[in-house]
Amino acid sequence: MLAFAIRRLLLNIPIYLGILLLVMGALRVNDPIHFRLSKNATPEEYQAVKESLGLDKSLLVQYWRFLTTLDLDTESWDTPGITVGEKLGDAVWPSLAITLPALILTSLLSVVIGLVSAFRRGTSIDRGLVFFAVVGMSVSFLVYIVILQYFAAFRLNEWMGKTLFAIQGYDPTQPGWWIKFCMLPVAISTIVAMGYDTRYYRTVMVEETTKDYIRTARSKGLPERTVLFKHMLRNAMVSVVTRIMITLPFLVTGSFLLEVYFNIPGMGKVLISAITAKDFPVIQGFTAVFALLFIATNILTDILYAVVDPRVRLS
Amino acid sequence: MSRLALLALAGFLTACGGDLQAAGQKTLRIPIPTDGPKNLDPVRGSTMYENQVCSVIFEGLLQYKYLKRPYELEPALLAEMPKVSGDGKTYSFRLKKGVRFQDNACFPEGKGREVVAKDVFYSWKRIANKGNDPKSWWLLDGQIKGFNEYRDEQNKAVENGGKFDYDAAVSGMRLFADDPYRFELILVEPNPTFQYKLAMFQLFVVPREAVEHYGVRFTRNPVGNGPFMLRKQDHWTTAKSIWLYKNPTYRQETYPDEYGDDDKKAGRHKAAGKRLPFLDKIEITFFVESQPMWLEFMSNNLDYTTVPAENFAEPFVRRSRKLRSRWRKRGATGYAVPLLDFIFRGFNMEDELVGGYTKKRAHLRRALQLAMDQREINDAFYNGINTIYDGPIPPGLAGYPPNGKAPDSLRGPSIERARAELAKAGYPGGKGLPKLDFWTGQASQAKEQTEMLQRQMRRIGVELNIHLVDFSTLIEKVHKKQAQMFSFAWGSDYPDPENNLALFYGPNEAPGSNSFNYKRPEYDKMYLRMRAMSSGPEREKLAIKMRDMVLSDVPYMGSMARTRFYVVRPWLLNCKPAEVFAGWWKYLDIDESKR
Repeated sequence: MLAFAIRRLLLNIPIYLGILLLVMGALRVNDPIHFRLSKNATPEEYQAVKESLGLDKSLLVQYWRFLTTLDLDTESWDTPGITVGEKLGDAVWPSLAITLPALILTSLLSVVIGLVSAFRRGTSIDRGLVFFAVVGMSVSFLVYIVILQYFAAFRLNEWMGKTLFAIQGYDPTQPGWWIKFCMLPVAISTIVAMGYDTRYYRTVMVEETTKDYIRTARSKGLPERTVLFKHMLRNAMVSVVTRIMITLPFLVTGSFLLEVYFNIPGMGKVLISAITAKDFPVIQGFTAVFALLFIATNILTDILYAVVDPRVRLS
Repeated sequence: MSRLALLALAGFLTACGGDLQAAGQKTLRIPIPTDGPKNLDPVRGSTMYENQVCSVIFEGLLQYKYLKRPYELEPALLAEMPKVSGDGKTYSFRLKKGVRFQDNACFPEGKGREVVAKDVFYSWKRIANKGNDPKSWWLLDGQIKGFNEYRDEQNKAVENGGKFDYDAAVSGMRLFADDPYRFELILVEPNPTFQYKLAMFQLFVVPREAVEHYGVRFTRNPVGNGPFMLRKQDHWTTAKSIWLYKNPTYRQETYPDEYGDDDKKAGRHKAAGKRLPFLDKIEITFFVESQPMWLEFMSNNLDYTTVPAENFAEPFVRRSRKLRSRWRKRGATGYAVPLLDFIFRGFNMEDELVGGYTKKRAHLRRALQLAMDQREINDAFYNGINTIYDGPIPPGLAGYPPNGKAPDSLRGPSIERARAELAKAGYPGGKGLPKLDFWTGQASQAKEQTEMLQRQMRRIGVELNIHLVDFSTLIEKVHKKQAQMFSFAWGSDYPDPENNLALFYGPNEAPGSNSFNYKRPEYDKMYLRMRAMSSGPEREKLAIKMRDMVLSDVPYMGSMARTRFYVVRPWLLNCKPAEVFAGWWKYLDIDESKR
C-alpha cells in the first residue's frame, strides 16, 4: 500500500510542476502592471511597480521562488498587508461552513433517493423523483439564489417580523449563526447538486439491480431491505466514494455566486476577486495548494477503492 | 413547520443571537456597492471606496464645506486657510493646536500624541517613496520646489542599499523650530488648484510611529486623527464589512452653521454648532451584487443606499427623476447627485487616418460625432439618467455650457449632416474609408454598448472593427498610441475645470493623461495661463475658449456624466450626499426613536 502511494506521488511530481508553470505562464500573457496604476501614472511609476512586484526578474527566478514558497508568504498585491497564506486561511473556513454540510446533505439525500428510485424503477415514485431531479439541475443556480434570497430571507423575515435567515452576512461570533447565515446557502447548494447526484446514483443503482448477485440474493428469499442495504448499497459504494472523493478538493474553492450574493467572505469570492484584480500571488498560491489537494485526493481515492471493494488490487 | 414553530425558532435565534448593540448607541448602517477598500493607507489608496473610509479615519489640511454648493474649501487640520504670497508660490500654514492622533498601541502608553507640522511633511514624503507603492505621485509631481530631486535622491539611495531618509531637507518645505504648528511650502510655479490637493485623502496626515510600528501592515491598521477609528483589525473583513467606532479624542469640531435654503427646508440646519461626530459606530457592508443591498435597504437594515440601475424605477419616477409619492409618505428622501464624469470615445490625433488637424480629418471626426446617438445609449444602458453634454467640462464646474449645450454643438444624431461631413472628408457614403479600429475595455455591457455604436456608425456607411480587451491591454494600447479610437472615462480629481482641460494639454500626451495626443500650441498657452489664474470670470472665459477649441477639433466623441441616486431613511439626520468629496459621514446623526 505504502509503495503504491509513494509511486503515485512520484509520478505526480512532474504533473504538479507542469501545472505551476502553466499557471505562471498564463498569468503573464497580459501585463498586469497597468491594472495596478492610477490613471495619472508615469512610465517611471510603471517601472517602479514592475520592480516592486518582482516582475522584472527572469521567469526562471520567478518560477523558483514560486516553487520554494508556493507564494504563501507573499503579500497579496490587491490587499497589501495580508499574505496569501493568511488570505486563503481566512477564507477557507467560511467556504467550508457552506460546502461541507452541503456535500454531506447532498450525498446522503441523493444516495437514498437514487436507491429508492432504482428500487421502484418504472413506478410513479421513480418517475416523480427523476422529474424533480431533472428540474433541479435544469434551473440555473442564480435563479435559485435570487428567488430564495427574496422569498426565504427577505419576504419570510418581513412576514415573521424577525430574522430567521439573513439576507446576507456571515458572523460566527453570533449564537445560532450557522442557521442564520449558512442554512439558506446550504439549502440552495443542496437543491442544485441533488439533481445531478440523484440521477447519477440512480443509474449506478439500476445497473447494480441487474447483476447476478442481486438475483441470487432475491432467489434465496432474502428480505428486500437486506438486498438493498446489505448487498446492493455495499457494491455501489465504489461509485459513491469516487464521486464524493472527486468533489472533496472542490470544497475549498467555495461557491462564488453563493458567496457574492450572501456576502460570505469565502474562497470563491477571494479567488474571483483575485482573478479580476490580477492578484498573481493569490491565484498562484491557491493553484499550488489546490493542485496538491487534488493529487492527494486522487491517490487517496485509489486506496479507498481497495478498502471498499477487496476485488480492487493496488498494483 | 407551522407558523408558530417558525416564530418560536425565530424568537430563540433572535434572543440568543442578533445584534449585541449597546443601549443608546447610535449606529449608522450603510452600504458600499463594491467589494470595498483594499487598503487603508492614504498613500497607497486610489479608489473612491478607499477615499470614503480613509476620509473618516484620517484628516488633511483642508476639507470641503459640507452644505455649501458650489463646492468650497475650509480648514480641517489648519487653524485658518493657507496664506499665499504675492507671487502665488509660497504657502504659509498654521495647524490647529490640540489635535491628537487616535489612541493606539504604536504610541507610548497607547495615548495618541499631538499632530504637528512635521507630521504633514512626513506624510507627504511617503508619497515620494516608491517602496510604499504610492498611487498618487502625480499630485505632487513637479509641484514643490526640490521635491522631485528629493524623490530621485532618496529612491536612488534605496536602490544602492541605503534607507529612505524622511528627515532629509527639501528646499520647498520649511519647518519652524520655535513653532511646531507652523510650516511653509514653496511651489515651483503658481498653481491655485494646488489647494484642492490639500483636501485629497492621499495627502492626509499619518503618524510616523504607526507607520514604523506596523510596517507594511499599516495598510490594515490605520491610525489617524479623524472622527472614527478602526479599533481592532478583525473589525475589517476584506470584501465583506468594516466597523468603525467614534474616536473619543477627536478634535473640537462642530456641525457647520453655513447652510442654504434647501438645507433649512430639509432640517439640516438644526445641528449647527453641535460637536461632531454624533454617531458612535459606523457599520459599512460591501455589496458586490445589488440585490442583497437593495433587500437589506428594504428591510430597514441600511440607513441609506445608492439606487441600483435595475431598481431605479421602484423609488424614482423614471421621467421626472423624483421620488415616488408612496416613498415620500414613508418619510424617505431621494437625492440625485451628479458626478464629475467625462465619459467619451477618443481619437488618437496622431493616427494617420482619424488624427491630424487638416480640414479633411476634422470633417471625418465630425461626421462620426454627428452619427453618434448618445441618447439611445443613455436610454438603453443607463435608464436615461445620465447627463449628456458638450465639451470636456462636466456639470457643475465653471465652463460647463448652459443646459449642457455649447453654441457650436456637434451633438448627434444628425445623419444628413454626418453624411455631408463624411463626403467633405473624401468618403461619400463611407466609400474608400477602411474599417476603423475601436478599442474598449471588457466591462459590464461594454460589448452591447459598442455594438450599438457600431450600428449607429453603419447608418453613414462607416464600419467599426471592435477590439474588446481587458482594461490593462486597453491602457497599454492607448499609452503606446496604438489605439485609433478608444472608449475611456475620466473622473475629475477636484471640482475645477483645469483638471479636465489638462487632458488636452500637449505635454501630457500618452502615456500621460492626454490620451488623445492632442497638440495645439495656442491651446497649451491658454492652459498654462489658466492654470496660474485664480477662480473668476476671466478664468471661466478662458476655460470656455479652450472648451470650444476642443469641440471644434473633435479629438473625442460625446460627453456623458453619471448621476448617482440615493434614498435615505427618515431616521437618518443631516444627510446631504456628496460625490465630489468623502468624509461627510461625520456630520450624520440617527434618530433611533424613528427606526
